[in-house]
Amino acid sequence: MYEGLSSPNIHTPENIPEYASIVLHYPSASIWAGGTFIMTRPDAYPSKRLNAEIIHLGKIEELHRFQRNDRFAEFGSMVTLDEILSTGKSVLPKVLIDNISTIGSRLITRRATIGGSIATSGFTTSFPATLIVLDATAEVRFMKKKRLHSKWMQLTRLLDKNGRITLPQNGLISRVRIAFTDKNLQVFDETGSFMNDPENAVSVSFAATLDQDVLINPRIAFTFPNHGICYSRDIDNIFTTLRFPLDDSEVMTLESIIFTFIDSMFQTLSPLQRTRTKGLLTNIIDRINEESLTIPTEEKNL
Amino acid sequence: MKIDCTIDGKTLTLSLNSDKPLSLILRENMGNEETVNHCNGMMCGLCTVLVDGKAVLSCMVPAFEIRGKSVITFDSFRRSRDMKDIEKAYEAVGAYPCSDCYASRSLIFHSLVDEGVTDRNQIIKELSIVRCHCLDAESQVKIVQKAIEIRRKRYVRRTQLT
Repeated sequence: MYEGLSSPNIHTPENIPEYASIVLHYPSASIWAGGTFIMTRPDAYPSKRLNAEIIHLGKIEELHRFQRNDRFAEFGSMVTLDEILSTGKSVLPKVLIDNISTIGSRLITRRATIGGSIATSGFTTSFPATLIVLDATAEVRFMKKKRLHSKWMQLTRLLDKNGRITLPQNGLISRVRIAFTDKNLQVFDETGSFMNDPENAVSVSFAATLDQDVLINPRIAFTFPNHGICYSRDIDNIFTTLRFPLDDSEVMTLESIIFTFIDSMFQTLSPLQRTRTKGLLTNIIDRINEESLTIPTEEKNL
Repeated sequence: MKIDCTIDGKTLTLSLNSDKPLSLILRENMGNEETVNHCNGMMCGLCTVLVDGKAVLSCMVPAFEIRGKSVITFDSFRRSRDMKDIEKAYEAVGAYPCSDCYASRSLIFHSLVDEGVTDRNQIIKELSIVRCHCLDAESQVKIVQKAIEIRRKRYVRRTQLT
């Protein structure tokens, strides 16, 4: 069936300069990483676009590299989520490992790539929010005056005002650098299915250092798959000013402040999504309360 | 687009749309409608096949990615010695998948046995992709562990004979 329709042309560059020359010739070509998002769209086949061009990044060796030192891990954008789990499970931040683990079967994680998870247009996975919380940086390659330029950018700088990760036209994420962190409170939580029920799914990533009753350098980001990422330094600053444990009235005030911000960003959240967001936030606050009331093991031993 | 690949041991050159999903290739071009489902990427898990020995969801693999690769569907896998091990494990545990998910589950069991995965949580997570509730989690774990045991014994016997 559909064999009579025009078949997209597949370009498989073997290095970045080759990719640049293909992009120059076909500026509207779609970039193909693992294909997990593209192939799960109901209209993926047959392609509606005439004369479609696909650039498959699978053969570019540079994008499959992984390197690590004592400060950070650096992944090529075509490194799969399963490879990240198998190479760095013991050293990578817990929130990142938890995020990958919630995706589920390796039948998916063996195909999904880190670059694709960040740069899928029109859809937001839970992955970029976790990377934002971890203050990750990405190397973005983009065309300017027919030349390929590269720039290391923090992921927060790639967020537009609608909460979507936006790359320059024909831009490509080639590497992602994740710093090792010693934050003692890292939480990733997700409710609902991002792929099958994006209207009602939501996830939250949180990382901070809890020192006695205050949070040092806290970061929190919510992901609404059909809307985008909700991240703000203002919310982080509010967390910094709090002294834990919080009582009920303080929790309610914090929730209302956060929801005011979320509502100003995304006006059309579904009621279930709102309820779930509230639940996830309450879980995190409960967890911080619990941790702040627990005597640290060093003090216990004294 | 012409694509050279091996499907169920047969080396083929197929003339296809380059972005056609493997599940549709198997159903429409190879006539394999019984053992491969096409859910349009809804991740039902019932379209599992082995590509170069690893279990994948065939609805997620476009035609251009199978160039030069070997695809094994349940149609040929059911006649292999590896499937006999899985069948023996079903018998030993006393739990069988239903006819809808028999093919997919058996291929995922094989892939887990091949990798020697014995961790309970990992087995359950891996099999959670199949959206069919005919087998409980405990039985699935037992099947994989039993199949690993059976396969190990077979390999030991084979090395003793040689």
